[in-house]
Amino acid sequence: MSGDWLSLRGIRRSFGSIKALNGVDLNVKRGEVLGLVGENGAGKSTLVKIISGFDSGFEGDVFIDGKPAKLNTPERAQATGIAIAQQELSLIPTLSVAENIFLGGNHGPVIASLRRLGKLAKPYLDEVGLSNVNPDLPVQRLSIGERNLVEVARLIAHKPQLLILDEPTAALGESDSQRILEMVRRLRDAGKSIVYVSHRLDEIFSVTDRVTVLRDGATQATLATSEMKLDDLVSLMLGRELNKMFPRKNPELDRPVKYEVRQLWPDRVLSPVSFDIRKGEILGLAGQLGSGAGEVLATMGGAHRGRSGSLHNLESGESFLPSSPKRAINMRIAYCSPDRKHDGLFLGRPILENLSAANLGQISIFGWMRTAAERNLGIHIAKAFTIDDRRLSEEVSVLSGGNQQKVALGKWLAIAPELILIDEPTRGVDIGARAEIYRKLRELADAGAAIIIASTDLYEISNLPDRVMTFYKGSPTSVLEGDEVRSDTILKNITNPEGLESMRRAS
Amino acid sequence: MEVSRDTNSTLTKQTIFAANSVLRLHGFKLLVSLLCIGFIVLALATPGYLTLFNLKTVVRDAALVGIMGIGLTFVTLSGNFFLLSMKETAALCIIGFAMGMSNGLGFELSLLIAIGIALISGVLQGVLIGLGGNPIVVTLGAAGILYGLASWWSDNLVISFRRPNDAEWLGTGSVYGVPNITIAFVLIAILAELVLRKTRFGRQVYLIGANRAAGKATGHENLTMAIKVCAIASVCCAFVAVAFSAQMSSAQANYFSSEFGSSGDFTILVIATVMVAGNSIVGGYGSTLRTSIGAVFIAAIDNMMVLQGFNSGARVLSVGMMIVISILIFAYIRRDSRSEG
Repeated sequence: MSGDWLSLRGIRRSFGSIKALNGVDLNVKRGEVLGLVGENGAGKSTLVKIISGFDSGFEGDVFIDGKPAKLNTPERAQATGIAIAQQELSLIPTLSVAENIFLGGNHGPVIASLRRLGKLAKPYLDEVGLSNVNPDLPVQRLSIGERNLVEVARLIAHKPQLLILDEPTAALGESDSQRILEMVRRLRDAGKSIVYVSHRLDEIFSVTDRVTVLRDGATQATLATSEMKLDDLVSLMLGRELNKMFPRKNPELDRPVKYEVRQLWPDRVLSPVSFDIRKGEILGLAGQLGSGAGEVLATMGGAHRGRSGSLHNLESGESFLPSSPKRAINMRIAYCSPDRKHDGLFLGRPILENLSAANLGQISIFGWMRTAAERNLGIHIAKAFTIDDRRLSEEVSVLSGGNQQKVALGKWLAIAPELILIDEPTRGVDIGARAEIYRKLRELADAGAAIIIASTDLYEISNLPDRVMTFYKGSPTSVLEGDEVRSDTILKNITNPEGLESMRRAS
Repeated sequence: MEVSRDTNSTLTKQTIFAANSVLRLHGFKLLVSLLCIGFIVLALATPGYLTLFNLKTVVRDAALVGIMGIGLTFVTLSGNFFLLSMKETAALCIIGFAMGMSNGLGFELSLLIAIGIALISGVLQGVLIGLGGNPIVVTLGAAGILYGLASWWSDNLVISFRRPNDAEWLGTGSVYGVPNITIAFVLIAILAELVLRKTRFGRQVYLIGANRAAGKATGHENLTMAIKVCAIASVCCAFVAVAFSAQMSSAQANYFSSEFGSSGDFTILVIATVMVAGNSIVGGYGSTLRTSIGAVFIAAIDNMMVLQGFNSGARVLSVGMMIVISILIFAYIRRDSRSEG
């Protein structure tokens, strides 16, 4: 069992004058899960590309089972026994699960009926924990989480020794993520080697055996997970102490209620929801994907139509439910959807135009843009969200995921929002940027805004908000305050409110 | 042997890489300079081309298509694709204008009729597109309706109005030898560029074009935008129709179609002016300045081909080729010029 299956020594890779990798050592044993962590830009993606044969222009040595090996092309890497699950899904939605599993490659039969293909696919589906899925179903009928598992099943059909999972849970809710983690453990127990790339440190701690930390294109350390502390890991990744990831909470319960939400009934939520938001607090809506927590925010922000409900602003006395984002903006309500590329950013436009987009009225007079006013607004927001203000004229698409998220959130400062609704505040965001976003959200709350976040990231939802409302399958299940806001109580309430012990294992 | 082959392939790779990066960084400048060189060579080889008179003709020819192209650019930049009803809008407008003129309503009232027609058809198309109708289907349907109305109303006859009339100044008049229609083209080009760059409306055009969903999320609805841009494009059609009719002192429904003997169908020409200079077909990127340059460029090529004795078929072909080639080139330049973070 022991002995390295894959071993990399002194890997270097430059793109022009930029050194993407500058001395990476990495080794993976049979039957172990190796976590690969690092901030955006640390070189994880480049390294993953090299291991999977997509990038051959590197220097350094690769050994497989102790013998020198060349991984020049994806085909050769695959033949060697290396498979990679990409962040972007490569399944064909209209084909069946079984067809997708045997697509491309010669691991399937040449001619087969759908039924036979389904039978052949079954063992692979079992292996990834999809035994309940009908292999004849078109992939588009599956949830995103299930599609990820199908993708892995397809890789396993090639019988690889090493499986690379690159952010496998980035787009998944808690229960789908748990399925991925269970699958990883099962594959490890079957003797496979797994390289697990993730931003989610709770997963790294729960599933890996060892962790390799990359920073600035070089291996900083490889540690056994059982002997590692969170703070050590974070400071290795950042290269500096991050004394606190999350700002302190602000649990004064006697603050005045700012908004009363009454009988709010979004689509896909089973019954109307009522709750209060206090001035200066951060309220968390916890739930798995599809729990309805995100729908509540979208309806309050005018992005989705709800069946009924009202939002009562106790300070101004107005009672309303925004019918469009435009109305919400007029009421100084900011809503950020979970998908910044879809509707959070104007990717092809400059950062400055993104930051000012929500409030062109403030920076124009009789329809003419006031260039200087726009620039000041941009600099103001950039400073607040630690975005480099010398880059304001660059397209927002050149920024890293973390900085893009800062722009997507920061643009709402332009309307001086009183109610800030954020669905997944830090999806796909590196640790450094995460801490900055958390700190800024707390500052905004302290300045008097009411903030509601919905998140499927347990670590985040248990550490940032002052209070947490939990959702399970379209219904609110509890409101947790003070000391009750802990990951175990939240997990219990979002996975199985009746309290079966089975899910506790996962935490 | 092994070593030398490796070196060779590395060399080739490096050359390709270098060529790629040069093309990406300086693609636009490179393209423009190549085109300029080719153009100058051809221009010198074409007798009678580089005369002041002929250059004035080029800009003048560019004017009508260019003005319509500028209008259409607003539609394209805002992410609402194209109006395929440009020439039909112009057809109904020119009939409306000539009807007014021949019935003695005078220039101003006839102009109002043309603009009124354009506004109604533009707003209606804008509403349908803004509510989620497919721009191709909506504007193809509108094209049929508008052209049908134009030929029905005019019985497919030429409607002429007597000279002298008070529309002539626009069609054939000039100031210090510069045709009024050329002046109008330049003024409209400047105005459009100012609107796009300096006004709130212009900013909204770019934002909604870059990402309609993000536009909605930040309070900029495409419904109002689609109505406005379709109205702008249609009014530009009306203006061109009036100027053209004033030039001919007559009107017929097919004046903007290819069988009339111009260098092809006006809708295609107008789309070509928008595409040739690299405006993004999906919106969010480009400018009316590019369209104006595109119009002059196409007119220059067309004029050169006329002087070289090509028939209209070859000229239509060249316009089609320009659209295709420019799309390919600009797609290549834009590809990879952005990195996903």
